[in-house]
Amino acid sequence: MIEVRDLQKNYNGVTVVNIPALTVQKGETIGLVGNNGAGKTTFFRMILDLIRPTKGEVFSKGENVRATEDWKQYTGSHLDEGFLIDFLTPEEYFAFIGKLNGLTTGDVQAFLDRFRDFFNGEILEQRKYIRDFSKGNQKKVGVAAAVMSDPELLILDEPFANLDPSSQIRLKNLLKDLKRQGMTLLISSHDLSHVIEVCDRIVLLEKGQVIEDMKTDETTLKQLESYFTV
Amino acid sequence: MIRLLLSHQWKEATRSSVWQKNLAVNLVLGFFMLLLLLYVVVLSAFMDVIIEKAWPDKDPVAVINGALLYYFLFDLAFRFFMQELPVLGIQPYLHLPVGKGKLVHFVLWKSITSFFNYMSLLLFIPFALKVLPEVYGLGGAWMWVLGLFLITLINNFLTLYFKRQLVEKPLVTFGFLLAIVALATLDYLNLISVGAASGSFFRALGQNPVWVLVPVALLVAVYLLNYRFLIAHTYPEEMRISKQSKVGTSAEIGFLQRFGELGTLIGLELKLIMRHKRPKSTTMMSVLFLAYGFIFYTQEMYTKGFAMLIFPGIFMTGFMMLSYGQFVPGWQSAHFDALLTKRLSPYTFYLGKFWMFVPACTIAYLVTLLYGLMPGSGGKIMLINTACFLYNIGVNTFVVLYLSTYNKKRIDLSKSASFNWQGVGASQFILMLPALLLPILVYLPFGLMDKPWWGIAAVGIIGLLGFLFHRQLLGIVVNRFQREKYAIAAGFRQA
Repeated sequence: MIEVRDLQKNYNGVTVVNIPALTVQKGETIGLVGNNGAGKTTFFRMILDLIRPTKGEVFSKGENVRATEDWKQYTGSHLDEGFLIDFLTPEEYFAFIGKLNGLTTGDVQAFLDRFRDFFNGEILEQRKYIRDFSKGNQKKVGVAAAVMSDPELLILDEPFANLDPSSQIRLKNLLKDLKRQGMTLLISSHDLSHVIEVCDRIVLLEKGQVIEDMKTDETTLKQLESYFTV
Repeated sequence: MIRLLLSHQWKEATRSSVWQKNLAVNLVLGFFMLLLLLYVVVLSAFMDVIIEKAWPDKDPVAVINGALLYYFLFDLAFRFFMQELPVLGIQPYLHLPVGKGKLVHFVLWKSITSFFNYMSLLLFIPFALKVLPEVYGLGGAWMWVLGLFLITLINNFLTLYFKRQLVEKPLVTFGFLLAIVALATLDYLNLISVGAASGSFFRALGQNPVWVLVPVALLVAVYLLNYRFLIAHTYPEEMRISKQSKVGTSAEIGFLQRFGELGTLIGLELKLIMRHKRPKSTTMMSVLFLAYGFIFYTQEMYTKGFAMLIFPGIFMTGFMMLSYGQFVPGWQSAHFDALLTKRLSPYTFYLGKFWMFVPACTIAYLVTLLYGLMPGSGGKIMLINTACFLYNIGVNTFVVLYLSTYNKKRIDLSKSASFNWQGVGASQFILMLPALLLPILVYLPFGLMDKPWWGIAAVGIIGLLGFLFHRQLLGIVVNRFQREKYAIAAGFRQA
């Protein structure tokens, strides 16, 4: 699905991402963990062609993401508020995304009905623009919009951050559902137990380098905790 | 405190990713200003001589005194379009132990540094020092200058207030403009005389310093007006949603839906304009600018020629596009990442912009057709405006969109509009220069060969060709955009 070759990003001579090789198979679920500044978001941005790499390439389904835009057809993503159009109401935003993905109004409505639980009555019919929602609720809008096109690849940056505990559990269940449907997931998180529960494979970044790449099992949480303990 | 704020402003300017670009613009602007100031000083030094030549039987001081209020009315109108409002991103300071009052005073005092406030000083001080001491004595001359400067400042704050009110309460601003027009009309009909009032006031000012209290009182009043307005608007934009929106219904503009993806994009942009004060005021300004033609079309020295009619033609039919378009895609900086990653090609993105500009120009063009009713030169104006309109939709759309790929400055629309007015003033006209000058350059060779109508036809035909080949032209824009998008996105992510 995703193949990274010799990827590097430097800012003023400091290397923030340096990944010689990384392959993500179709249907795999990968959790990206690492402290602040480890390069998680920069890495995601390079996959989404938002930042030009200093060196190397990212291939999505064998195509360089910088050469074509085909990846947009099957990739859903939400990194931060920059992915939301904040002067729209959530309904208008979903309708807009639906239009771009060729969905009918009925499709969008049906999709939103599936999310009613996840939204917990705080998103729809609120008579508010997205910019006036709390960070957590904005995140719900972003995640829902990313999933809406029923993408093959879903990229989320810290989806659990800012969510209340029940919403975190709902999101976890949602992601597990998507995984069961065969969606490829790429998720970064600071919440180790959540990410281990959802993902089959954990990639640990430190200063832009992959220092650990493992399949999740019973000992993963212990291993990660010992790494992060100061 | 003020020093700290100043240093923050300085840092904000120099550390922004567009400093280099602004630097070039400011240098050009600065150069023209210096030139202009030089002219003004020279003009002032010889003003008495000029007046004696023009009206040999009149006293220069009386002439100037009588003309001053007219000058200030003109100054006010000029400022309304050209003066930039002072800016301070106040949000990060509001939670700190800094009084709101201090921040507002800072913003207001900063406006005094505007170039426009020194114009009148330069225009009249040399004259005052040369001529007035003989008439009013040295003290009287300085009082006269002081009164003049105070009125300049009153104009300054009036402009700030009404320019801001244009968005908050447009009726207040329109009412004010109407009052000015009414005053001018009454004066024209000889019912009242602004000239006589002006003459007696400035004579009194020179003879008795007590009169300086009049402008002082007015200045204090208008300053307080500004102060109260700003202090009440330190909160982020508050906008109510009048009706509840359902997915796919209401708020959607049904007509646009017929155009599929393009219609959706244009609908999105229209919402952006409607729901934010800054783009809304930009749009409103372009309505005001439709009256711009009266300045040109009522003067025979302009209507006789051709080149000077191309200018208002381009300006009026294209103002909306030029003023809004020059910040594209900055208006969308807050959701730029979304535009790049959602299922949307850059070509469609730019095509949507193109199809938003074309109707905007068309509407403006249809309104300017009313100038066809002008006696004498109406037909000529209509034909020239038609050529300019074609040029606008064919070439200037492309010029504006091409220049848009140089835009890397984030525009934060959710911040309070009253404090956030960067780029609504003179500097935006600099960026319009290529759009305004190129058509005149197209016309020029024909004009010099004494075939003016051929020149006008050339402007129109080039526009038509550009319009027919807009897909190819947009392709060039998109190619550049593809190369620049990383830098643009990085610039927009800088809060």
